[in-house]
Amino acid sequence: MSDHGAGPRSIANPEIDITDVFAFPSPERPGHLVLVMNTYPFKEIEATRLFFSDALDYRIRVHPVRVASTGPSAAFAVGEEERAFSFIFEVPQKSGDSLLQSGTCHGPAGKISVRVGDEAGARSGGLHVFAGCRLDPFFVDQQFSGGIRLNRRIPEVTSVNSLEGQNILSIVVEVEHSTLFGAHAGPLVAVIAETATNGSFRARLDRLGRPEIKNFIMMDKASDAVNRDLDVRDLYSEEDGFKLRPDYLGAYRARLNGSMAFYDGLDGKTDWPLDAKGTHPLTELLLADFLVVDMSKPFNEDGYLEIERAILRGEPHRTCGGRWVNHDIVDSLLTILINNGNGPRISDGVDGTAVPASRKFPYLSRPTPMPPKLAPLVGIPT
Amino acid sequence: MIRTTNGTIAFANLAAQIDGLELHAASGRLTSRSWAELVDLLILRAHVLGRIADYERALALAELRLREASAEGLSFLSLARARGSLHLFKEALSDLDVAERLGIENAAAQAERAAVLQAVGRYDEALVLRREAVERRADFESVAGLAALHAERGETAEAEPLFDESYVRFRGVSPFPLAQLEFQRGHMWWRAGHPLRARDWFDASWRRLPAYAQAEGHLAEAEAELGDREGAIARLRRLAGESDDPDYAAQLARILDEDGNAAEADRWRARAEKRYDELVSRHPAAFADHAAEFWSSAGRDPQRAVRLAKLNLEVRDTPRARALLSRAIAACPAP
Repeated sequence: MSDHGAGPRSIANPEIDITDVFAFPSPERPGHLVLVMNTYPFKEIEATRLFFSDALDYRIRVHPVRVASTGPSAAFAVGEEERAFSFIFEVPQKSGDSLLQSGTCHGPAGKISVRVGDEAGARSGGLHVFAGCRLDPFFVDQQFSGGIRLNRRIPEVTSVNSLEGQNILSIVVEVEHSTLFGAHAGPLVAVIAETATNGSFRARLDRLGRPEIKNFIMMDKASDAVNRDLDVRDLYSEEDGFKLRPDYLGAYRARLNGSMAFYDGLDGKTDWPLDAKGTHPLTELLLADFLVVDMSKPFNEDGYLEIERAILRGEPHRTCGGRWVNHDIVDSLLTILINNGNGPRISDGVDGTAVPASRKFPYLSRPTPMPPKLAPLVGIPT
Repeated sequence: MIRTTNGTIAFANLAAQIDGLELHAASGRLTSRSWAELVDLLILRAHVLGRIADYERALALAELRLREASAEGLSFLSLARARGSLHLFKEALSDLDVAERLGIENAAAQAERAAVLQAVGRYDEALVLRREAVERRADFESVAGLAALHAERGETAEAEPLFDESYVRFRGVSPFPLAQLEFQRGHMWWRAGHPLRARDWFDASWRRLPAYAQAEGHLAEAEAELGDREGAIARLRRLAGESDDPDYAAQLARILDEDGNAAEADRWRARAEKRYDELVSRHPAAFADHAAEFWSSAGRDPQRAVRLAKLNLEVRDTPRARALLSRAIAACPAP
């Protein structure tokens, strides 16, 4: 749930809210790319009572990408070709005492139907898809992460996973990499997930690439030298993550520069010196806000941001990059932002969920079972 | 027409959200923002289903939260919303004063204040706030708020383009905001004496969200007015049977009376009487207007209607409240 409530629109419309995106080479089937999109945060209820919206297009977009430059001006070049996996869901139908929902994945090789909640998912033409409720795999102590922004210092660790036991709605796609852009395409792919309206009026409502860019970094207005009273996240989420419009780039840059400089100063030293224009070394790389996976490298649990940091140093990357479900991105990101690895690991004290994801399709753990009967609050009529 | 999430899905998800937040509240793990969200969602469900128990629960939860977090502006904002939903307008305005003193975001407090001022007939003050909100940010909420205020004042020419603009500015797929907007638009035309237009908007609202009891109740009223009395009676029988809001039983009794079905009308009248009595004793401000409407028509006790209409006028001095009192007085037999 790294991107839950990332802006007023998502807070008001939780069904559009993308909470996480994961992309990694399949640990089960080498040469296959796994894409995961989670939506609809904070659901501590039975899986059978959660449904995808029939008015949304849930889509995962993949582009070929290559390293365009390395060193301080490191950048990716995104190819024009796109392969998208677009999920549309039906209105649930009554079946006995329950409601069953089905959906259709429109992929590069055609359509495939999927029954929501079917553990086995659906397969067709080298594509394997799943849609349904799962346990939220994200873990964070929000007292810690929020405490940093609130108190402007690194707080004491309480080690409580604020999200333990929450369910979310997941979409999982496993596809053979060579079928995406051809056998001779480069190994790097860039991944973004979006929710958009699927009626005659089309609008992108939420968009996510890397975790916690919007909440850890863009939410914090206090260090922004330009816009201290503007939540830029709704504007940012409306953008095509592969092609940000020039209109608001200045506002995004100012927010990232100010916020990341604040994080860097939390340990009393500077690990990310700004350039003469006040630009943080990570700003341009993070504004290329998509997950980058190297499909020529084997599955690696800890590849998150490794490719980006390597090209920034001007070195070859070693891992598949991307983002694996169980990776502790809170610790990784805070450590990178605060000391760039030149100091102790910054940890919120939460290193996983009670039920980590497995290495088998659909990877994410089963949802929290039927929760206990609600205990009424004392003195409150139910 | 803007496509929104199917009503069945939206309602199942709303109920699921409420249950999840309740579970968190009961375990003491709910954040301040989530407390406010729980209160808001209960008020939303109460409004859509016409479920009085949800209004009461929202108020009880907001009061509980205030006891636990009395230094937080959000607690007072939540309480203002819950109190406003039960027509405790004076109390809601004073809660908003405290919320603002405690630093609640100005836009949120002003939107709530505008709603309360509008409800009590202080239209000019509400208009200032609504216009400021649109100038600050012309999004769906602010434009729809201004449209609803003009609609409430019967200013159809001003309201119509704003209703249209609200659609253009809508960014989401939840059916709740649009169903409420369509209901308000229908209600404006109903009060303006255009039952056909009103029916179309009530119908749009109900089709978008079939569980929306108020929309279906008013749709039935418009259908009855336009001659489809059988259809209206069928709708109202179901609504009156399902809802704990006596308005539907009262409407049904009135239509059945008019159609000469006295026996069934008496049954629904008795049910409405009992429920209005319960509700007026528990929440006099909230139900004085609807109860007065009932007693002056199907309830056949205009003296009681006058007492309640006067109480309603004390709560909110609006043209509608004044008209209700006039109707109640007119319904009384000449001395």
